[in-house]
Formats: sequence, structure tokens, C-alpha cells
Amino acid sequence: MGLVQRVLEASGIATVTLSWIPDLTRAVGVPRLAGIGYPPGRPMGRPHDPDGQRAVLRATLELLATATGPDTYVELPFEWPESPAQAWKACQGVAPPIVGLLKKKPWLVANLYSGKIPHDTEP
Amino acid sequence: MAIDSYRFLDFASRQVMKAWAARAHEPGAIPFTPLAKPLRECTVALVSTAGVARNDDRPFDQEGERRNPWWGDPSFRVIPLGTTERDVRLYHMHIDPRFGESDLDVVLPMRRLAELAGEGLVGRPAPTHYSTMGYILEPKELVETTAPAIAGLMRAEGVDAAALVPA
Repeated sequence: MGLVQRVLEASGIATVTLSWIPDLTRAVGVPRLAGIGYPPGRPMGRPHDPDGQRAVLRATLELLATATGPDTYVELPFEWPESPAQAWKACQGVAPPIVGLLKKKPWLVANLYSGKIPHDTEP
Repeated sequence: MAIDSYRFLDFASRQVMKAWAARAHEPGAIPFTPLAKPLRECTVALVSTAGVARNDDRPFDQEGERRNPWWGDPSFRVIPLGTTERDVRLYHMHIDPRFGESDLDVVLPMRRLAELAGEGLVGRPAPTHYSTMGYILEPKELVETTAPAIAGLMRAEGVDAAALVPA
């Protein structure tokens, strides 16, 4: 997403990313970044919690006006109400194809780490 | 930083994401466009990476990713303002889609944006918002085709600012 953000920003649109994995987003190099300690799949907050979602979006959008230069990073003060174990348990049936492939061919995990994506491997 | 980016990830995903962060640096200066006008006058668009597609639009290509797990669909979908969870599905296979499918604002907060426009924080929500699918290991098409296309559509609608929400 940081890559898309850079393109939009360079085209003249002011951008901000709200990231649950700010370490990775910031490493790409982005103009404005709001980090949040929420789990994957629920970046704005819990379903049917409009007040919580609105607070997150408000804090994210305010960064558009307050940032004065690139690589502006702010950590939002919101805390997820569940432990990682509880948040993980709430996710059911998530089975990315790459996980199935790496269970069959675990040595290919080196390619995932390095970014050297194989183009000749049948799953 | 105080936020632990990897807190909610399993061990294997954590190690992979850390490795990606260690080599993520893009060459060149980070672009920066100052807001052209006060935020309260800006037209704002949203981008989600949850793989949101309307039911009357083409789904993201899950079958292609099943055939080749190293590949992710690098295209995008337009999501008109007013679209709700009743009108969409989430096609990102690396997250649980049920949260966004029960409340679309969890990943693409168009209703919240409209409320904040009503409060005067921003000028107005753009007529159109966007979704990509976040699992893209080789981002060439995403960067060279998809992102410029989204930028063009945003500019055509007079978008001043965008908020991007990785899922």
C-alpha cells in the first residue's frame, strides 16, 4: 500500500496511510503514516462500532493537515480490546494458498523471505 | 516506536513481514504534496486493500492465486459512495473477510467519512472510492498501471486528499 501511496502523492494528491503494520509501511518510505495497534482485517476497528471507527478515521485524516514534510509518522493511541490470542481465534478459515504450498514445499519459504519469486514452480 | 507491528501475527508471518520491512526501502526521495487548501474544504477519497468488489462487478481473481500462490491480483475496483456491505464481497484470502462483509466501514469507512464531512472536518467524500487486493509480491503492475489509473480517476473527480487503509 505504501507503493500506491507514493504514486498518488507524486501525482499531486495529499495522502495518508492508516497501517496496522507501520514498521513495514514506513520502511517503504511514505509521506504520512498513522500507525495503529489493531489486528489484520480490522484496521478501522470492530464491526458495528461507528464511534470507534470515526475516532480512528478522524485521527488519520487530521494528519493530512498537520504533517509538514515526508516521513511524518504518528502512532494513534487506540488499543485493541482483545489479546492477540483472542483476535487470532476470532479469525476463521483464513487459508492463503501460499501457506498450503509452503506446507508441501517448506524450502520455498526462502523465496518468500528474499522476494525472489519463482516463476517456474508448479504448486 | 511503541506499537508492535507484529503483535497480531503468527510466528511465520511475523518473520516474513520483518524480512520484507528490512529490505523495503524505495529508491529516491519520498514524495510530499502539501494540502492545497484547508482540510475542511478538501474532497477526500479512500483506498482499501481488502480486495473489495461490488457484486455487480468482476471479482478479484482468487482462482489465479490458487493456481499460482506467488501471484496476487494487481487490479483495482471502483466502489461508489453509498455502497454498503450488502453490495460487496471481500476477496483478499489472507484476512478474514467476515468482518468487512458484516460492516464495510471496518475496511473502507465511507459512512464514517461522510459523517466527518458532516461535522466539518473535511469538505466532502469523493463520489468514488477504491479497492486493491493487498497480497501482491511483485508490485510492478500495481505501481505502473493500477496506482496511476487510480490517481487519474481521483484527479478527474477533483480529489484533494486520500486515505489509504491496508487491511
